[in-house]
Amino acid sequence: MAQKVSPARLVIALSVAAVLAVFLLYTSIAGGGNPSIAPSALQGRTGEVQLAGLVVGPVVGDAHAGGLRFGLEDIGGRSESRVVVRYTGSVPDLFKVGRHIVIDGQLRNGVFVAQPGSMITKCPSKYAPKQSGDSA
Amino acid sequence: MTVALLLAAALAVACVIVVGFPFLKEPDPETDVLDELDDDERRRLALLEARDRALSALKELEFDHRTGAITDYDYREQVGGLRREAAAALQALNRELGESGAEGPDGEGRPVGGRT
Amino acid sequence: MPELGRAALVVTLGLVVYALVAGAAAAYLGRRRLAQSAQNALIAAFFTTVIASLVLVSALLRHDFSFTYVARTTSEALPTGYTISAFWGGQEGSLLLWLLILTGFGAVAVRLNRRWARDLIVWVVPVFAAVATFFSFLVVAVASPFATQVAPPDGAGMTPSLQNPYMLAHPPLLYLGYVGLTVPFAFALAALLSGRLDERWLIATRRWTLFAWTALGIGQLLGAHWAYVEVGWGGYYAWDPVENAALMPWLAATAFLHSVMIQEKRGMLRVWNVLLVILAFSLSLFGTFLTRSGVVNSIHSFTQSSIGPWFLAFIGVTVAVSLGLVFWRLPQLRSPTKLESPISREAAFLYNNLLLLALCLAILWGVVYPMLSEAIRGEAAVLGRSYYDFFLRAFGLPLLLLMGIGPLIAWRRASLRSLATTFRWPTLVGLATGLVLLVLGAGSSVPGLVAYTFSAFVGTTIVMEFARGTRARKALGASSWPGAFSSLMARNRRRYGGYVVHASIVLLAIGVAGSSAFDSVAEAKLTQGESLAVGGYTLVYRSLDERQSANATEIRATLGVNRGGDDLGTLEAGKNAYTIEQQLSNEVGIRSDKLTGEDLFVIAEKINADGSVYFRVFVKPLVNLIWLAGLVFLLGSLITLWPDRREQRRLVARADEVGVPATR
Repeated sequence: MAQKVSPARLVIALSVAAVLAVFLLYTSIAGGGNPSIAPSALQGRTGEVQLAGLVVGPVVGDAHAGGLRFGLEDIGGRSESRVVVRYTGSVPDLFKVGRHIVIDGQLRNGVFVAQPGSMITKCPSKYAPKQSGDSA
Repeated sequence: MTVALLLAAALAVACVIVVGFPFLKEPDPETDVLDELDDDERRRLALLEARDRALSALKELEFDHRTGAITDYDYREQVGGLRREAAAALQALNRELGESGAEGPDGEGRPVGGRT
Repeated sequence: MPELGRAALVVTLGLVVYALVAGAAAAYLGRRRLAQSAQNALIAAFFTTVIASLVLVSALLRHDFSFTYVARTTSEALPTGYTISAFWGGQEGSLLLWLLILTGFGAVAVRLNRRWARDLIVWVVPVFAAVATFFSFLVVAVASPFATQVAPPDGAGMTPSLQNPYMLAHPPLLYLGYVGLTVPFAFALAALLSGRLDERWLIATRRWTLFAWTALGIGQLLGAHWAYVEVGWGGYYAWDPVENAALMPWLAATAFLHSVMIQEKRGMLRVWNVLLVILAFSLSLFGTFLTRSGVVNSIHSFTQSSIGPWFLAFIGVTVAVSLGLVFWRLPQLRSPTKLESPISREAAFLYNNLLLLALCLAILWGVVYPMLSEAIRGEAAVLGRSYYDFFLRAFGLPLLLLMGIGPLIAWRRASLRSLATTFRWPTLVGLATGLVLLVLGAGSSVPGLVAYTFSAFVGTTIVMEFARGTRARKALGASSWPGAFSSLMARNRRRYGGYVVHASIVLLAIGVAGSSAFDSVAEAKLTQGESLAVGGYTLVYRSLDERQSANATEIRATLGVNRGGDDLGTLEAGKNAYTIEQQLSNEVGIRSDKLTGEDLFVIAEKINADGSVYFRVFVKPLVNLIWLAGLVFLLGSLITLWPDRREQRRLVARADEVGVPATR
């Protein structure tokens, strides 16, 4: 039998198309993720973003009572880029001044209000990150 | 430091010997050609593989049927075709071996599933 | 002594470059002695790498801080076991481990196959040597473990989070997996180069692929367990790029393990299989690159060293060369056998491949998305948990279902009538389970309920397969039921070992569904005597203690656990303060219920100066099934990997029939 496109091949092709469709539908509806930016680029941005920066003092407050407040600067940047962060939720063990962290949240009234539990710290000497947060 | 360098030198020498060994062992060989399969042997191997594939497909069908994974209906549909394929593969192999004058194969698998 | 190490690595580099050049020349020109010489070089490279490794291990054990690497990753007070694990704890050492395993596997693969796959081996040698050249070059010129310095009085110590038994097992297992995938890759390229495009390369590498896949799987589960009990945020997988780095090659390898069966049985999918193994290996290299280049969170920060670009270049070259070879051999790769029906085992395996690959590529997309969006739009954008969770469900759940369907469909073509008969019972059991669970309240999470229902379906099919096989064996004359069972397993290792592995995946699915879709959490700041209730448990904060260990101060809060009026004992949770490293680590308290597989998980998030503690408590149903799944997975893989004497004899007999001389 010399059928050009057998039914089997067609079903497989349709399955591939279906998978692709699922992918495209999701990404077009759910959007392209949160921008990941440095503190210096935060000025004027209102939406949900991910900040990647260096923790600077002073660190005050309690993340489980009223919020932990600290400053975040550009890594290797100037101190004018300093942003005040208010964080609630689990604080990773490695968190301290001088650590590189990544944190999700939104700028509100001049303060970056973080998503609870979204802080991720980068382990300095090893190449794997340590984190906390609402994960499986 | 010197110990380390001496060891390193010894290591390098040992490696050169290991790498050069085939040439040292046979400085003047009869033939230096890589022992590869020629076209006849390749064809025979391909036919053997086709035969084994056909026989094992039959065996698997029998097994699936006996354990009940495949219904009588599907079994009847397929067994005829598989048996024909196996027979064709065996014939092709016999023809090939008969032509080249080599010994016939000792059919190591049987079409009816003797083993589960 | 560092000079010896450095020299040994330089010799290694020389040997593998020779093996590459001489091996390629020998294979192309058909020169026997040159081919043997190249083989010897590859094997010798293993021994020189062993010497370099021994130098590093001895430096670690002697606390020789004149080695920069030793000073950076260990300290005097570090327990010996962890000192050894520092071998792979840092960049340079881990690259050396890669090279060690690579040359070791190369030596073994070449030796084992030197008779019956001779025409492949001549090309396997240069391909292996090419990969080894890259890694030797890295450890010689870019990231040497043997850099020296003026020895400081003490080393910097090891990050506390790495000071646990997992560090001894998790990285080496993952490396066995990553490197192990080089073997089928090398054989695939050798098949393309030599023109020997039949199933020979698949059969030669089947056990290697299984071994690498198993190591990668167990390594990941260990990593998940590590994250769960040591890092202790309450979860075991966070879709972090470093975690995904191991998951992607594992998914590709899973697809490969299935599609090779189609090529073995029907001679189909030759192009597909070669492409899959190239993908798996490339993802393995990419994963190795991801975990060390720091490139994934943000392209500007976190870069640890300069090896990132080297890795990317090597991956690029590997992919380009491999695809070029495939394209060159495309006409010969095409097989005449066609897919006969969309309802057949071949088709089921194809759908399986499609879903596995879709999941793998979706994860890959998520991982590279920040880099791509930064390159295109000038701003990096990250995709969060919800992205990965969606695709895990969208592709993973149908995959779970398929796992129960595939093994029971006939090859070539299955009639709908037979499908109805075969799947009657599993479908009934699945639906019944789903209904019962719905009544019991599992409707709170639809994906969770679906996972449970599908698991019941698949579980039933597996039990039925074992039962039917044993019964058939008994009918053939086996002495007893256990006897029938064991002879069934012995004679059909691949099939039933595979079923055991499928069973482990079912357990994994149930465990993941239970602990992520049906868990509970509560948090509160407690002073001594106060209590917290969650998921049926009541916890009372009793006391706070401090004690000293070898290199840390341990602070522990003790809680009394109560459930439904029963006293379940106490649980401790707290923190360790490491003296030298000046770091804190989380020490969680876990109570595992033997009967239900449920975990009570306590984190002492913040210990205040006044003795009050902020606790976060999870109840995770069925989570221990995940770890049980790991054991079952290992068992299934071992059964499938076990050497089969009959199969060996048959292969040798076949070579004899063709008239291939047995020795050389």
